[in-house]
Amino acid sequence: MTQIELWVNGRKHQLLVDEHDTLAYILRNKIELTGTKVGCEQGSCGACTVHVNGVAVQSCITPVLKCVGKRISTIEDVANQGELHPLQQKFVEKGAIQCGFCTPGMIMSTMDFLKENPKPSREEIEEGLSGNLCRCTGYKKIIYAIKEYADEKSVDTSDKFKMIGEGRPYIEATKKVKGEADYTDDIPEKNALHCKFLRSPFAHAKIKSIDFKKALEIEGVVDVVIGKELPNKFGVLPISEDETALAVDKTRYIGEIVVAIVAESERIAENAIDFIKVEYEPLKEYLEMMDSTLDVGKNEQIHSHSRFNNNIHKKAELRFGDQESGFENSHLKVERQFEFEGINHGFTEPHAAIAKWDENGLTIKTATQVPHYLHKSLAKVLEVPMSRIRVIKPYLGGGFGGKSDPFPHEIIISHLAKKLGRTIRVKLNREEVFLTNHGRHPTKLGVKMGLNKYNKISVLDADIVIDGGAYGSFGVVTSYYNGVLLQAPYEIDNFGFRTRRVYTNKPQSGAMRGHGAVNSRFAVETLLDELAHKANIDPCKLRLDNLISENSITIGQYRITSNGSRKCLETIMNQSDWDKRYGKLEKGKGLGVAGGFYISGSALPIHWNEYPQSVVHLKVDMDGRVLITSGASDIGQGSDTMLAIIVAEVLGLSMDNIFVVAADTLLTPIDLGSYSSRVTFMAGNAAKMAAENMKNKLLNTISKAHDIPKSEINLSKERVFSNDKTIDLNWKEAIVFLTDKVGAISSSGYYNSPKLGGDFKGAGAGLSPSYSFGSVVAEIDVNTNTGEVKLINIWGAHDAGKAINPLAVEGQLEGSWHMGLGQAMSEQMKYYNGMLLNANFLDYKIPTSVDTPPIHTNIIESIDPEGPFGAKECGEGAIHPVLPAIANAIYDAVGIRITSLPIRSEDILRKIKEKENGE
Amino acid sequence: MANKYLKAKNCEEAIHFSQLHSDFSYISGGTDLMVNKYQKNNTSKTLIDLSDISEMKKLQLNEDIVIIGSAITLSELEKNNELISLFPSLNKAIKSIASPLIRNSATIGGNLLCDNRCMYYNQSEWWREAIGNCLKCDGDICIASGGKRNCFAKMVSDIAPVLISLKSSICIAKEDKDIIIPLEEIYSGDGINPHTFSKESIVKEIIIPKGNPKTSFEKLRERKTLEFTSLSCSISVTGNNIRVVLGGVDSKPVVLDFEKSVPVEDIIIKSTKKCRIIKNDLYSREYRKQMIGVFIRNGLKNII
Repeated sequence: MTQIELWVNGRKHQLLVDEHDTLAYILRNKIELTGTKVGCEQGSCGACTVHVNGVAVQSCITPVLKCVGKRISTIEDVANQGELHPLQQKFVEKGAIQCGFCTPGMIMSTMDFLKENPKPSREEIEEGLSGNLCRCTGYKKIIYAIKEYADEKSVDTSDKFKMIGEGRPYIEATKKVKGEADYTDDIPEKNALHCKFLRSPFAHAKIKSIDFKKALEIEGVVDVVIGKELPNKFGVLPISEDETALAVDKTRYIGEIVVAIVAESERIAENAIDFIKVEYEPLKEYLEMMDSTLDVGKNEQIHSHSRFNNNIHKKAELRFGDQESGFENSHLKVERQFEFEGINHGFTEPHAAIAKWDENGLTIKTATQVPHYLHKSLAKVLEVPMSRIRVIKPYLGGGFGGKSDPFPHEIIISHLAKKLGRTIRVKLNREEVFLTNHGRHPTKLGVKMGLNKYNKISVLDADIVIDGGAYGSFGVVTSYYNGVLLQAPYEIDNFGFRTRRVYTNKPQSGAMRGHGAVNSRFAVETLLDELAHKANIDPCKLRLDNLISENSITIGQYRITSNGSRKCLETIMNQSDWDKRYGKLEKGKGLGVAGGFYISGSALPIHWNEYPQSVVHLKVDMDGRVLITSGASDIGQGSDTMLAIIVAEVLGLSMDNIFVVAADTLLTPIDLGSYSSRVTFMAGNAAKMAAENMKNKLLNTISKAHDIPKSEINLSKERVFSNDKTIDLNWKEAIVFLTDKVGAISSSGYYNSPKLGGDFKGAGAGLSPSYSFGSVVAEIDVNTNTGEVKLINIWGAHDAGKAINPLAVEGQLEGSWHMGLGQAMSEQMKYYNGMLLNANFLDYKIPTSVDTPPIHTNIIESIDPEGPFGAKECGEGAIHPVLPAIANAIYDAVGIRITSLPIRSEDILRKIKEKENGE
Repeated sequence: MANKYLKAKNCEEAIHFSQLHSDFSYISGGTDLMVNKYQKNNTSKTLIDLSDISEMKKLQLNEDIVIIGSAITLSELEKNNELISLFPSLNKAIKSIASPLIRNSATIGGNLLCDNRCMYYNQSEWWREAIGNCLKCDGDICIASGGKRNCFAKMVSDIAPVLISLKSSICIAKEDKDIIIPLEEIYSGDGINPHTFSKESIVKEIIIPKGNPKTSFEKLRERKTLEFTSLSCSISVTGNNIRVVLGGVDSKPVVLDFEKSVPVEDIIIKSTKKCRIIKNDLYSREYRKQMIGVFIRNGLKNII
């Protein structure tokens, strides 16, 4: 250790450091400048960017001793005495901030490259940002914000009283852009212990012995936990609880936690791992999904509870109409096999959690999308009543489904906090995040489709195998979604599918944006394109002719209410100049189209009960400020802001008088969590009802006191007034008036889905009170010498019902399209003998700013009859059409059908050559 | 033994430090080394920082030659207009390296000496142990080649192929004297110990003759940024000489000289044959091989 002086943000710090500490470590842990984030530890994501002598560098790979005698500045130094730098202001205004985890790094990089090039072109901005990964925005709004700042465009002035339909920044955007928003690992805790894990190096092995005696003898090591200490099983779905916090008796994937070690410092815990000896006896490994469909001996099963004599976790099969006669009556038929690699959410904030046990029981702060389900799982595994557990979600750096399960690390540190009576911290590194996974299932599927002579889809039949990895996660739902979410947006008379989800000895798969339907949608949209070619009709026209109409019922008895699918498709056809350009571009260039739809929340809850799916409470006191409490998890998608807008709209307030407390199971009422695109629809409706109840209280009281009909009293612009202005109170006066009359003011609202669907097994899968619709046209350019595909344009349209906050909706759509093109073009989880080969942000290839084409965004508003102010989902559904649109564009360009993802240059080149050789 | 971090004021002092601390690494930008340290591929107890040595940060544009101090960062070099016009392929190669953020720290010397890479080696310590350590981390066999006794970790410097195509030399500071040798001579071809000079030596300067050759540079990578190379192809044409230098396809730069009269197809066949590509990269071996031909054909088409 050595004593150094470090100049940071104009202040001198005397510090004792290890000679090889990184600058990021010192900034975060010794100077508490946690605005500098660490996303990858290896210089691949840019979240940790700071300035050293005015130059932007990544502090996670910069030795602190290299910086002695130099001027360091961090995100905390950018705002001037609390006033945002104009660049920060632009990021806020333009919606360039979603989860906000990459934002400090983005700002620091930008400030550096703008010094040398103050008037950059769009391309130069993309280049300047190309070392900073963003998983939320698709970079579009970030680039806009920088361009507007550089071009000195004036600040937008918006009406502060316009609510629904007015694009506005997230309520926490200022905090995020200043680096002041505390994500879980940023939260300081006194006297905390640190937890690290020993993970299995075997894909499938019996644990014969664990010897941790030597580790326990190391000074600073406090405790060691092994599997048998936490034997209770958990899982997000009560019908599929098959996981333990640590491996008990055997390990089922490389990376599974076998031992947890807790020590006074992270480094002591990490070093102590080397002193633990585990003896394993390897078992037969199942690494290929098809092998897991075969019959095996009982001893070879990954889980002994599998109902079949193999490693199949779930079989889901539904059939409607008659597929056989559907095919017989088809004029044109197509059939293909498809294959998809697994992909990972790639959120920028690694998992982190802090657990504490005190007189009130357990408090865990954790990066979770589902505080409620974690609450339940903790109660079950720790055998502690729910009343003694509090789950808090701090600011969260992206989820996309990857933080929507209860996780072993959360359970282990909660157990340790209870056992030791100390605060325990844990954070996973990026490799551990990848190994924890729960990403999109690797998939193999065969799909058959037919068209009748009127070019109507006569039949669709899919046979699907999905690779669940070692545990269940959301897999039962995924199994159904792969099939059931094919029954729209087109009308299909004969429809059936079978899905088998198998266990393999790999990190588990789970829910990821567009859950369940992304891969099967790709297959169907590809076959539709093929059918259009066979039928010699335009693929857009074929889709338009087959779209299901609004206020209809699908073959599997989904109730379709609002439906903007036609408008979506027509909008992007028009924008991309489809009619003039499709099929007419020079060889190598192409246009492709695809459609999709998705649920706005699942109508049936995971835990079968009659509880409301979302509750919102409002409280208002003498200061006039309305406090919204909601269990909904804002994971960067803007749900806190959405709730505030809805309440402000109903009560005629500006955002200044609204405050949101969310996702704290002690303070906030139940919400099932941020998954399945349910929050705007369900929590939004609950918030609307709560606000309307409060409004009614006010109206009833005034009406009664002044003998004025309620219909003549208005709430607008923070005033409460009658039509004739005999009553004209400002909001605070109105609240004082109401409090005087009723004593205390609070109100509540809730949401529960209506009873929907058919009466058959599996009828509940994919049922939703409303469905979103969307479509994408992609333009690409194939280099016929290398097979490389360049994306030129993405035109997307999505029916979000009503955009409560258009800025946020656009952000969700752009992020979805960006994530989809990542899966299409470059992302995959690649294994070597069950070991993940690319568990880092260098080799797991999320598209950067320079890999992302111009995205043209269209929000379509169909005004849903049951959505809050007509709104429905926008966070997931948009992803579905982008992948097949790209593949179909490749067909237009070079006549090659893409049947596996990611699209690889070498496959395209091979097929081009085969085609040239007439094979 | 405790960790040490020593800032050297000049090459002499750096070499002196290296003699006092046997378990050392030189560090300049640190963008390669710090990741290797994080993954425990580098466990040096002493880091000797060269980044403030002024004699290694000079850029001299002389009449016939250009001398580039090896501690100059890539971002400084990529913005130098004279260098851009003198050596466009060098500029293209620099801009293809990692990301602007990395280039702000990374130095040209560091890029030339970037440790050889392999997808079975550039992993965490836990990962490597779990898979069974490969040759490059004290194991018995090469995993990438399926059991060979040689290490084929690839040379990934994008600058080396360009500088070699430009017939550059480097000045190496040794304990007793400075020596100047052709750049290609520092690469051993051994994936484990990829450099020929002693560990204490310091690559001080790069010397590029102005010659004004026609040049091209192309790089194979999945994304347009961040990536290490899967194939770098640098070509220069001077008088009757065509020089092809390939990176990312062997443990050292693959250098071939041809007369202008040699047919392109022969150049491609000979170049491809000389590479030792194995499956140590996310692209297949076959595709990388195929792209050698495409890149050479394109490169020659553009400059001849």
